[in-house]
Amino acid sequence: MSAIHEIKVDPKAFDKDYLSPIHRVGTIFSTAIFFALFLPSIFLYLFHGVFPDWQTIVGGFALAMTYAVPFYFSEPIAYFPILGNAGWYLTGTVGNGSNLRVPCAAVAQEVAGVKEGTREGELVATIGVATSVLISIPAILLGALLINYIQQFFPPWLLDAFNKYLLPAVFGAVWGEFILRGWKYLPIAVILAYIPMALKIPAAWNIIICVLGTMIAGWAMLRYFKIKA
Amino acid sequence: MDWKAIANEWWVWFSGGVTAVLGLYMAWYFLRTALRFMHTQGFTAEQTRAMIRGAAITAVGPVLANVFVMIALAVAISPAFAWQREGVGVGSVFTELAQASNAAIAAGEKFGDPSFTIKGFAAAVLIMNIAGWGWSVEAIFTRYLGKLREKVTGGDQALLAVIAGASMVAIFSYYSISNAMKSTPHLVTVVLAAGLSMFLFKLADWIKVPRLKEWALGIAMFVAMFIGKILAG
Repeated sequence: MSAIHEIKVDPKAFDKDYLSPIHRVGTIFSTAIFFALFLPSIFLYLFHGVFPDWQTIVGGFALAMTYAVPFYFSEPIAYFPILGNAGWYLTGTVGNGSNLRVPCAAVAQEVAGVKEGTREGELVATIGVATSVLISIPAILLGALLINYIQQFFPPWLLDAFNKYLLPAVFGAVWGEFILRGWKYLPIAVILAYIPMALKIPAAWNIIICVLGTMIAGWAMLRYFKIKA
Repeated sequence: MDWKAIANEWWVWFSGGVTAVLGLYMAWYFLRTALRFMHTQGFTAEQTRAMIRGAAITAVGPVLANVFVMIALAVAISPAFAWQREGVGVGSVFTELAQASNAAIAAGEKFGDPSFTIKGFAAAVLIMNIAGWGWSVEAIFTRYLGKLREKVTGGDQALLAVIAGASMVAIFSYYSISNAMKSTPHLVTVVLAAGLSMFLFKLADWIKVPRLKEWALGIAMFVAMFIGKILAG
């Protein structure tokens, strides 16, 4: 039995036996999910005859996009390198990138001892992300069906702990893991995260500055000082 | 008819079910394809099982948090609509409610106000789902993201690893610092979670218990969350 870090997958087989079916199914199902997002509006019109007028759609769309558009740029830049193709199909359609999909991909990679961004890393990330989806969707359904029971079973103190402190705890824990793997990028990342924040630059642009800046610094470290990840 | 009753009708549950089934099938297919391929390349079933276990343990905390967040959305709108939105968990409850408010404003109404009507709800349904389209479109074109990455890096595996490593340190530096700056309990939560996860991952190597890595993130996030909450009172 080979240690995982000694396994190098065959690039040709990777493209043919793994990437090709992933793209075929990923493209079809992402497109289907895109159209499925129309369903509630179509049903609402069919059963109750209510559909927003064009003025409302355009106005609401513009307001929604002011929030969402910057993230359309920042998230693929930040997440695609670690999640890879299958991970991005799932994260783009099923959501919860930073708080769930990336942590699950990261821990699977840590368990496997593979580097993110490599073919082996992509395969392991797929396992992590797919596992998280197979857990989260049924759990959300159960939560929605048992909502009254959950509110009784979990005291307000616990709900408040989850609502306020689980997310910072997830971010901190994943941050710690990535610091161990890429500590050499930490000083520049912290500087590039903090300065735009202090200058009150909007979150999505702050992320783009921080991520792209740190990537460029990483590239320069590899190119000029031969410092590998 | 009250819009809250309409928002909990069967077709809202069904719409959420359609996206959920599509998402579940895609995840199952990807998992099966990756596992089959990995086993042909020398990964053992024991190794891949450990990866699944690690991801499953890590998912517990965030999934529970999602369920609790969904409660807020279910109370504000309806359980069915919360399922439709969060089943393919698009956004935080704050984002979702902000988008509902935006839609209501566009419809000339105010979300959460007793005067909010079915017209406002119709706008909210469409706009909240529209906001998720961008990511779906990006997912549809994933193959081009991969090609763009290959083009930028020239397929250099060392550079690909640098880009992935640097981007992850960067994005979680941003999220951690922005959360840590909210209050002292938040700061303690972030620092403790980071320190504890680093310690546990290192400890797994020192004491040669690789299985500890599967639990590291899960333990770090729960301990830090509870200590943050205890500090906050």
